[in-house]
Amino acid sequence: MTDHVLKVEDLSVSFPQSGGRARILHNVDFALERGTVLGIVGESGSGKSTAALAVLGLLDNGGSIDSGRVVIDGEDLYAKSAEERRQLRGGKISIVFQDPFTTLNPAIRVGRQIAEPLVMHRGMTEAEARAETLRLLKEVGIPDPERMAASYPHQLSGGMKQRALIASALACDPDVLILDEPTTALDVTIEAQILDLLDSLRITRSLSMLFISHNLGVVSRICDEICVLYAGRVVEYGKSASILTEPRHPYTKGLLASLPKMSRERHRLQPIPGRLPDVRKPLSGCVFAPRCHFAEPRCQTTPPAITPIGEDVAAACWRASELARTPWRIESSETIPRRVDAGDGKPIVVARDVERTFEAGGAMDGISFSLDGWVPRVSFGRKVVRAVDKVSLTIHEGEIVGLVGESGSGKTTLGRCLIDLISPTSGEVAIDGAQLLNASRSEKRDLLKRAQIIFQNPDSSLNPRKSIGETLERPLELVGLGREERQRRVAELLDLVRLDASYAERYPHQMSGGEKQRVGIARALSTNPRFIVCDEAVSALDVSVQASILNLLLDLREQFKLAYLFITHDLSVVSYIADRICVMRNGTIVEVGSTEAIIDRPQHPYTKALLAAVPKVPELRANLDR
Amino acid sequence: MAEAAANSRPQHRRAPLPASLIWGGVLLTVILALAIAGPSLSPYDLDALQLDMRLMPPSAVHWLGTDEFGRDVLSRVLNGAQSSLLMGFGATAVSLLFGVPLGLVAGYYRGWADEAIMRAVDVMISLPPIILGLLILSVTSPSLWKTVLAVGFVYIPIITRLTRGITLEVASEEYIQAARARVEGGWYILFHEILPNAWPPIIVESALRVTFAMLLAAALSFLGLGVQPPASDWGLMIAEARPFINSAPWIACSAGAALCVTVIAINLVGDGLREALDPRLARRR
Repeated sequence: MTDHVLKVEDLSVSFPQSGGRARILHNVDFALERGTVLGIVGESGSGKSTAALAVLGLLDNGGSIDSGRVVIDGEDLYAKSAEERRQLRGGKISIVFQDPFTTLNPAIRVGRQIAEPLVMHRGMTEAEARAETLRLLKEVGIPDPERMAASYPHQLSGGMKQRALIASALACDPDVLILDEPTTALDVTIEAQILDLLDSLRITRSLSMLFISHNLGVVSRICDEICVLYAGRVVEYGKSASILTEPRHPYTKGLLASLPKMSRERHRLQPIPGRLPDVRKPLSGCVFAPRCHFAEPRCQTTPPAITPIGEDVAAACWRASELARTPWRIESSETIPRRVDAGDGKPIVVARDVERTFEAGGAMDGISFSLDGWVPRVSFGRKVVRAVDKVSLTIHEGEIVGLVGESGSGKTTLGRCLIDLISPTSGEVAIDGAQLLNASRSEKRDLLKRAQIIFQNPDSSLNPRKSIGETLERPLELVGLGREERQRRVAELLDLVRLDASYAERYPHQMSGGEKQRVGIARALSTNPRFIVCDEAVSALDVSVQASILNLLLDLREQFKLAYLFITHDLSVVSYIADRICVMRNGTIVEVGSTEAIIDRPQHPYTKALLAAVPKVPELRANLDR
Repeated sequence: MAEAAANSRPQHRRAPLPASLIWGGVLLTVILALAIAGPSLSPYDLDALQLDMRLMPPSAVHWLGTDEFGRDVLSRVLNGAQSSLLMGFGATAVSLLFGVPLGLVAGYYRGWADEAIMRAVDVMISLPPIILGLLILSVTSPSLWKTVLAVGFVYIPIITRLTRGITLEVASEEYIQAARARVEGGWYILFHEILPNAWPPIIVESALRVTFAMLLAAALSFLGLGVQPPASDWGLMIAEARPFINSAPWIACSAGAALCVTVIAINLVGDGLREALDPRLARRR
């Protein structure tokens, strides 16, 4: 008999919504074996975070359990009183949240924050708690626990904060650790270190973990078992290695097919069409059927129960066993060629020795007082940070240049310098042969018709007060198009980004993230630019949406011979889309080369470290067979 | 659940107006109508002294009683509406007219403009409103319009600070960067991109300001630097009735109730406007 430290049985959870309750989790079942890691995988809206909160008994905003049980070490969590529940949870389960930057209280020293629960819950004296805190910090790999304990959160890096949070989660000596996207906010090299840490904790403490993530690479790196959630239902559940190499459920197949992989050859990504079903509408049949091209008539009428397929996997699909080896779509053998020889196109953007420094603090911070002997001195001048340090870069017509680097490397600043959103402190930027900096406003407007930008965050890149039509018309108005022409062009632009013309009347809040991102692209395209800066343009999107946006960007490149500077921290994405990759660190470009060269033969130690840190998804068995 | 909501079909029909806006609007319309029609509706002459009828409690003859000079309270409350409302709305308009642009400039351009504006604001805010109002009014002869300007001036820093705070937040949004990427002028960015997103909290604050302005104007009138007796004004009436609050509570209560109802109506409208103006809130109803 297996030893299940945590069992979730038939769990259904609903939240109040206008006109009734919306069910977010539907009869979810999973079990966590002692000493193993179970990954809960799904895109936004899948209910994975709700599942974690339900396990902790921390549902808020009116969320309630409609059916099912959460069994922790043989005890039913929801059969107990609130106080008993708190005690059961306190000693057995801890949670680590996604964002280490907001989870720690900025006003309290780190050591104090970890020691507090030790005194409160484990009845330690102050001295004992302090000793235990230092021991915990050491356990999570912090080199100087004394100093760390005395620091305030803002003095620590993201990785260190996440370690501190893990230490505080371990304070009550839990059996189960719930990790809600614990590495999503971190750089890839830090992510690798945290995953290593979790791996070693699992062994030394025989800790069981519930690992919630949307990142299949990370999941494949750390999880023994995976539970794939779609629209609040478990669609596939089983051994991690088996699911990732031989997915049985079409949704899992689709997710894996949407994932850009680090490889030399580039096949078109195969996103999942459509979107999540409306939780308020009743559903007959399989929840994934509307987006599934394997769907049969029975899929529309009868929902499939989750049934074992083979030894180590169960899936909720009528056709799971017959489709076991069928890929999401037959991958076309045609590859999308990369432009290897950049020399043939004419240069669109030429940046020479671009430098940008920032002065820290406000205008008044530059004035400082000191005593020179007995004479008071006033000095002016602020601390200077060099974000971009003498970078030269040429981007040719129709070329996609990837710019990778970790946070703080200066990649965003460089991208914005190229279109003068941030003015370089020194250096030159030429677009289409004309100097951009020091240009007059009308010249600049003329140049920036040819160079545009797509932003990261679909929620913040569109003015919520303007309809999509207004947003898209404004750049056209600036170049002097008449009203009718503008409206015709708006329809044309929407069509280019595969949106219906009726979207012109919508407001941003009426659209999904992927749709908003398409509008962002349409806006950038409105003045027929030659060059677009894509600043983390797909990073905030779910995998399946990301795939369709990447496809769109590649299509538009072909159609208009566009050049992109594709800024991202995601090496898989950049190696998929870029022809040439620049690796940036501390404000300088440390390595440039064709995508192939960078992936296969990285020269700089930093590039090697970055590549080694990327969590990879194993190759599909179906692909290996071919 | 945002995901689920985004999935739903967009509503092309306009969402119904919020209830607070309807009720507040109705109430405010009635008050405004009474203020305009006040002089012709009032049963007695505003300044008619009836020294034999001093401090009479409400009766069939004088519905709201009489004051210490035997003047009809109902007539005075009806007549007082005009000056009180004028001072409330007028002063708020003045503070918005100056405060909003200053806040936008400080919050968007930052740097020395920000320092200069905000330090000036700090100086103004460090003086108690009443002292500042007195200071301004004491150098000229009192009149209704000067009171409006003075009270409006006193509240500029509050509006400036609020606007600057919201502007800082909105200016960091990517659509502002997008506007700069197509080389929009400062005017367009401030008034077409930022301001529409900054309105909701400003409107709510303004509704609050109207009521404060009415009270501050009343206080200034009481101190002899605003509306001059024997003119009728709610604030002035409350101030004048203060010595009789025990023996003749109806005077202060009538003017107070009028002020109170007006304040509630304005706040309801402010709240309702915020909801109606924000497309994101509109969806949740």
